[in-house]
Amino acid sequence: MTNHWIDLKNSDCILAMGSNPAENHPISFKWVTKAMENGATLISVDPRFTRTSAKADIYSSLRSGTDIPFLGGMIKYILDNNQYFKEYICEYTNATFLVSPDFKLPGDNDGVFSGLEGTKTKEGYVNGKYDKKTWAFQMDENGIPKKDKTLKDPNCVFQLLKKHYSRYNLDKVEQITGTPQEKLLQVYKTYAKTGKSNKSGTIMYAMGWTQHTVGTQNIRTMSIIQLLLGNIGIAGGGVNALRGESNVQGSTDHCLLFHILPGYLKTPKASQPTFKEYNQVYTPKSNDGMSANWWQNYPKYSASLLRELYGTDVSLEEAYTYMPKLDDGANYSWLTIFDEAYKGNINGLFSWGQNPACSGANSNKTRQSMAKMDWLVSVNIFDNETTSFWKAPDMNPKEIKTEVFMLPCAASYEKEGSITNSGRWMQWRYKASEPPGEALPDGDIITDLFLKIKKLYEKDGGTFGEPIKKLRWHKHFDSHVIAKEINGYFLEDKEIKGKLYKKGTLVPSFAYLQDDGSTSSGNWLYCNSYTEKGNMAARRKKSDPSGIGLYAEWSWCWPVNRRILYNRASVDKNGKPWASDKPVISWNGTKWTGDVPDGGWPPMSAGSKSRYPFIMQKDGYGQIFGPGRADGPFSEHYEPLECPVEKNFMSPQFVNPTIKRWDMEGIGTKMDARATCDPRFPIVCTTYRVSEHWQTGVMTRWQPWLVEMQPSMFVEMSKELAKLKQIKNGTIVTVKSLRGKVDAVAIVTQRFKPFTVAGTTVHEVGIPWHYGWVTTAERKYDSGDKKPELFTFGDSANLVTPNIGDANTMIPESKAFMVDVIRKEGS
Amino acid sequence: MVEMAIFIDVSKCTGCRSCQVACKNWNQLKAEKTTNRGTHENPPDLSANTWNRVRFNEVVNDGKLQWLFLNDRCRHCEEAPCMFAAEDVPGAIIKDKSGAVIFTEKTKQLKYEDVRGSCPFDIPRYDEKTGQIYKCTMCIDRITNGLKPACVTACPTGTLNFGPKAEMLKLANKRVEQLGGDAAIYPGEEYNTFWVLPETEENYGLEAKATVSTSRKFAWNKILSPWGTLGLAAGFIGCLSKADTVTDQEQTR
Ligand code: SF4
Ligand code: SF4
Repeated sequence: MTNHWIDLKNSDCILAMGSNPAENHPISFKWVTKAMENGATLISVDPRFTRTSAKADIYSSLRSGTDIPFLGGMIKYILDNNQYFKEYICEYTNATFLVSPDFKLPGDNDGVFSGLEGTKTKEGYVNGKYDKKTWAFQMDENGIPKKDKTLKDPNCVFQLLKKHYSRYNLDKVEQITGTPQEKLLQVYKTYAKTGKSNKSGTIMYAMGWTQHTVGTQNIRTMSIIQLLLGNIGIAGGGVNALRGESNVQGSTDHCLLFHILPGYLKTPKASQPTFKEYNQVYTPKSNDGMSANWWQNYPKYSASLLRELYGTDVSLEEAYTYMPKLDDGANYSWLTIFDEAYKGNINGLFSWGQNPACSGANSNKTRQSMAKMDWLVSVNIFDNETTSFWKAPDMNPKEIKTEVFMLPCAASYEKEGSITNSGRWMQWRYKASEPPGEALPDGDIITDLFLKIKKLYEKDGGTFGEPIKKLRWHKHFDSHVIAKEINGYFLEDKEIKGKLYKKGTLVPSFAYLQDDGSTSSGNWLYCNSYTEKGNMAARRKKSDPSGIGLYAEWSWCWPVNRRILYNRASVDKNGKPWASDKPVISWNGTKWTGDVPDGGWPPMSAGSKSRYPFIMQKDGYGQIFGPGRADGPFSEHYEPLECPVEKNFMSPQFVNPTIKRWDMEGIGTKMDARATCDPRFPIVCTTYRVSEHWQTGVMTRWQPWLVEMQPSMFVEMSKELAKLKQIKNGTIVTVKSLRGKVDAVAIVTQRFKPFTVAGTTVHEVGIPWHYGWVTTAERKYDSGDKKPELFTFGDSANLVTPNIGDANTMIPESKAFMVDVIRKEGS
Repeated sequence: MVEMAIFIDVSKCTGCRSCQVACKNWNQLKAEKTTNRGTHENPPDLSANTWNRVRFNEVVNDGKLQWLFLNDRCRHCEEAPCMFAAEDVPGAIIKDKSGAVIFTEKTKQLKYEDVRGSCPFDIPRYDEKTGQIYKCTMCIDRITNGLKPACVTACPTGTLNFGPKAEMLKLANKRVEQLGGDAAIYPGEEYNTFWVLPETEENYGLEAKATVSTSRKFAWNKILSPWGTLGLAAGFIGCLSKADTVTDQEQTR
């Protein structure tokens, strides 16, 4: 979230799209309700009428996988009707920037941007990659992007934007999305009103946007809208990802993913053998003195991280050689890992606090790949489909060689530490009770494991043992010690801005981190969270001097306790808030008041002493044109890998040209099969959650009060489809894709309606992904197997989802694929 | 303690059912074995182990689809008809000064049919194992110790509110005004648990207000003829349970 949960109450218009907050983020509705009481409009856009839709002022449906046309039409509406915030886009965004005259838009280039290289097929390009040469900005003699503040130059971002989205007219959008034009217009009109300088609109999105082959571009499209309407930086605005787990924000910040290190530093690549080269690649340079270009500090953060990992006995250069390197161009994401495992190239797996047998797309492939491993360690609080994969109803334990270990671990309430919520608040939690039996906190388990491995290296030697042997590690895990190290220390006496900081004291904030090895910090973004003043995350002060719900002394928020990101864009050039009734920051002539500003420089009217508001961008401007993405600087509609239409009505390019395809001949196996526009699988299917369960259900399927409310896998469908398929409400049916099938109880409801897509009727169904065979009645329970107090019915939705990822993030496309629904004999 | 009340602002309910779980948790009520009956609503009815539950109703009015959520539970009537049905066993059903109507262990000595039949809202439920009759206690053990009821504490949206009755009524009347249209207080002001319904009662599958006065008549009847209740009670159960089971699938068939 650029903003935070409480800030939702400041909004004038809340768009819930790609999310279902009433059901999946129930507490958020406290603030949504407050906003509505203050007169805000709630819009719910979802293929299915949800509990959020039930509360919304406006509900609009759309076919799954067509968010870009839906929002592209909104961009066109905003531009055609002059609803954008002109001063904001001219001063604060790159709308004025001139792009290379060689740049081509998909409308003029067979549905792809200029520079695409790849294999051409009758569906357009596959496995393509962009050479981004033509996506560059034109530079003036000082190496600063050329701008046209009149927004008239045909090569300026604004004109390109206008031209690009002019193709997303109402007829086209309706044809693709299946949303009636009146509905589209109602949504567009309502939301575009937040383009007024004193109004704010916000987006609440979640996996409904990310889990698509165009997931990143779904969010990009909305970011463009938010910039056009001047909704970034202000109270009640922003781009707000509702994270799917209480601590997903924290785990991402601290490098759960393969391509990033803590604080979004980049994982080194094999082609970057020295620390110097590595820093050079990732330290952006701007020739514009007014661009803060915050990432220019990259070497300070990377040096501090190396110090934290390897201490001062090892030079920074040596420490860097110990860091794992990615092979250039290789992809180590989830889908690839299980693909390699399926091919027999990975022989062991630590499944830590997760349940891949149910959570990973294309579960049959995932489950089969586990059977090919030599060993599997499952660290979890309950038995689950991964731990017990070898005795699943369709497995023969005698044929499975995998040795499986279960390590019981403490639940979150049984240990002390912090979690970081979607609003970037790091909140300290205390231990409520002791973990049962042999269960240990994760920190203790990993410490035991590491010390044992280190001992083995010391005793027996082994290839490249130095990175392990020299890594700093404590004998015992203590969350306070770790939290302080994440913040970082001065490693020698250091004088900064006339003040002496003693060796061994905590660094006050990341502005003090050094690139010469004199400071450590496990995560620069968290530097300021645990200082000599104490544990900031444990603060619990309930006062709110801001008046807009910032609660600055309740917990701590990255970066440097700034509650609303890009807040320098919430004021005009003189530092006066656009919305005087909900100011985030304001300039009193000598300093800023309100939230921690995005840098203390005076407002833009101060000229060269000031800085542009978008400090994390190299040029300092909000990116309406975003050349950083793998699949285009603007968004473009591509159909989901599996879809109900035979072509993309927008262009000859059928699906996202830059996604990594497994279904092509010579690449994947039959496990990776795709069935698009295939009469055997004529129904669009999407997946979702319910309030009553959590993720794959490992924590909730054992909880009888929750099972009582949602006992079973279900499939929701329209009355029209049920009639067609002769399915009665409440009966068991089979949902089937080319990859697998799952039984479910039919919920026949008016909350799903068939779509009219390009003149034909398209049906869609939806299934939750919380279930699994381990807690069912039908399975075999051996002595010693834990039996749930109440059984659940059905297995995972991922048995039918495809293993195909977004072009930028590789998140699987679990939200739009094709199935059939079949009545079971006798029902 | 001043007279307290629970005020349920239905317009804000998202059907998250935190209230259902919170009640089971605080009162340590057993989970029921259920199946998905083609609706998200579960358990299908109140029981000795389910003292509040959210009804899910899909309705279409003027072509507009609505999904209505209603938390159903004891109304804690000011003049509670169930107390008339229990007058032969003093202390079995008590009206506490907080406003809560409390079923005690002595309900074991009551006739279940009489008690259930006397309630115009069909709330009391019997547990065969303990022989006792149960329903919402307004969390008497919490509210007499300075806490709010468990369900109120758990509700994230401000649907469930608890406080002095006068304050709750003020809140409720203000909401009726803000919502306009068909919004009204249900079942009325003479209860210590009341709702503001943004739509008419029929939309929620609730009995029309007539039942309340009928129940008064019933109570009167009971006073006149203590043992003549059974047939009448059965009649009540019949008509009420019909209303009770109007869930998603029925209204949408
Ligand atoms: S007041 Fe207490 S007993 Fe009554 S429904 Fe709420 S939690 Fe249950
Ligand atoms: S907890 Fe509140 S919002 Fe949730 S279902 Fe109950 S009354 Fe409704």
